[in-house]
Amino acid sequence: MRHRFLIAIWLLTDLIVFMGSYALAYFARVGFILSSDFPFDLFMKAVAMTAPLWLIVLMTTRTFALTRRQRTVRNVAYISYCALVGVALFTLVYYFQYNAFFSRLLLVTAFALSIVCTWVWHIIFEYILRHYLHAKTEFPTLIVGVTRESRELIAKLNRERNPLKPVAILDGRGCKDSEIDGVPVRGKLNKLEEVLNGGITHLIQCNDLEQSLNLLSACRQKKITYMVLPSVFGIVERDEKIETLEGQPVTMVSPKENPLMWFFK
Amino acid sequence: MHAFILAGGFATRLWPLTEKRAKPLLPVAGIPLVEYLVRDIPEHIPVTISTNAFFKEPFETWAKTTGRMNITVLIEETKSDDQKLGALGATAQWITDHNINDDVLLLTGDNYCGFSFDAFLAAATPNTTLIAVHDIGSLELAKAFGTVIAEGNIVKAFEEKPKEPRTTLVNTGCSLLPASTLPVLIEHAVTHPDNVGGIFEELLQRGFPIECFSFTEPWFDIGSFDAYIEATKALVGDAIIQEEGVVLDRTKCEGSVVIGEGCTVSDSELTNTVLFENCVIEDCVLINCVLDRDCHLKGVDLTGKMLREGTILQKK
Repeated sequence: MRHRFLIAIWLLTDLIVFMGSYALAYFARVGFILSSDFPFDLFMKAVAMTAPLWLIVLMTTRTFALTRRQRTVRNVAYISYCALVGVALFTLVYYFQYNAFFSRLLLVTAFALSIVCTWVWHIIFEYILRHYLHAKTEFPTLIVGVTRESRELIAKLNRERNPLKPVAILDGRGCKDSEIDGVPVRGKLNKLEEVLNGGITHLIQCNDLEQSLNLLSACRQKKITYMVLPSVFGIVERDEKIETLEGQPVTMVSPKENPLMWFFK
Repeated sequence: MHAFILAGGFATRLWPLTEKRAKPLLPVAGIPLVEYLVRDIPEHIPVTISTNAFFKEPFETWAKTTGRMNITVLIEETKSDDQKLGALGATAQWITDHNINDDVLLLTGDNYCGFSFDAFLAAATPNTTLIAVHDIGSLELAKAFGTVIAEGNIVKAFEEKPKEPRTTLVNTGCSLLPASTLPVLIEHAVTHPDNVGGIFEELLQRGFPIECFSFTEPWFDIGSFDAYIEATKALVGDAIIQEEGVVLDRTKCEGSVVIGEGCTVSDSELTNTVLFENCVIEDCVLINCVLDRDCHLKGVDLTGKMLREGTILQKK
């Protein structure tokens, strides 16, 4: 519930940031004395009409997803793509509304500012969101399987204050540790039902491949989100991708090759 | 004489089949494992089954179905693996609390023994511990059990889970302890509550005589999924066991197949597979699988899987 409320705030503030970045572009190009040839109110009216469309495009890139990190290059790429779509939409809206053209440099400035402002705001909001959701344990997460990778993952989730907060660990073969990075090891898989009934929202499988069907089945029954590390399947080099083959999702690991060949895979 | 069956383990290696069911109550070829033991114990011997609080009700319900009057379910007041008394600890507590001063037939509830208890008891020498032993045929496999070094039927040494076994003769979890050894058991249990096999080493060290009863009939220690499948294959053979209310349509069965009450199987292939109650299988290929009750599968191929109760897998 807290998460949905925060996302709603994030979406609303994004609209404001988008409109603000265009206003800033107007002042940067036209000047702080409002022009009568290119009225500010007509400009902002077109921006206001464009903003929801831009936001819908941004939402389709899953930028607001719980698992998305805002600081990544991939995320900047998505935001840039949306900014480009925003500029195009704004141009069309302005032209259709007022049948007039204006400074092309203004569009370039609006494009650049909407990328920077949106990205910076997303990093700030992500920080707020993570701290709040992690502190409130909004998404109690169960880790299944104690391996070096799962230990790293638990430490990373805690260090980065990820919204998915590890609250319990189970291991199919048992584990000598009583806790890992402050997270209690609750025992073997016979405790699964008991642990899941404690309000778990996410389960991350890090080991015990032979039990994936049963873990998934338990998650489906209790409406819990199931995740699995690629290392469970022996994919440890972090070069896997989820692709589709005739519409069916597949995990793909391609041979290492020239990065330029990426487009032709 | 009293029979005491140890059934207090949580059997985590057989998860998820043992998630809501004690391992001795797992059906093997359609019959709960512990029932094979109980029905072979001579009628006049009172039977006590020691389990934990988590499995109290299933054992009590099952005990009523045996029709045997002298059967008691003893509950250890533990609800999780880390609280349990230990097998030897539970035995010692039962002996103390119930003032047992008679011979004890001590059995582990997760073992299937193919020999007759009548023959085993007939082989006993008064005031001598008797343990049932089986030649497992492999030193590597023997590492997981208590091994018995014997001369004739006299036990000379006993090694619990040795790193380098000297013999392939292993203890099968069936022993007869004379009343004179019970004080030693109680004393040993204080420091080694988990080590049932250790009592034999202790008895030998203290000069108590131990004899062994060697048998060639099938024996299974149902400790893992593979062992469960192997036991099913051995007991069922190349056959299909169908319980009441089974609907089997256009389905090919190979090897050992057990289909529980109320299951519906259609357009599928089953090989060495066990279905517990009320499973619905449609257009599937299942090889070496065990499906707990209420599983619904459609259009999937599985090999070597244990599925937990209520699993729904339907290919779209």
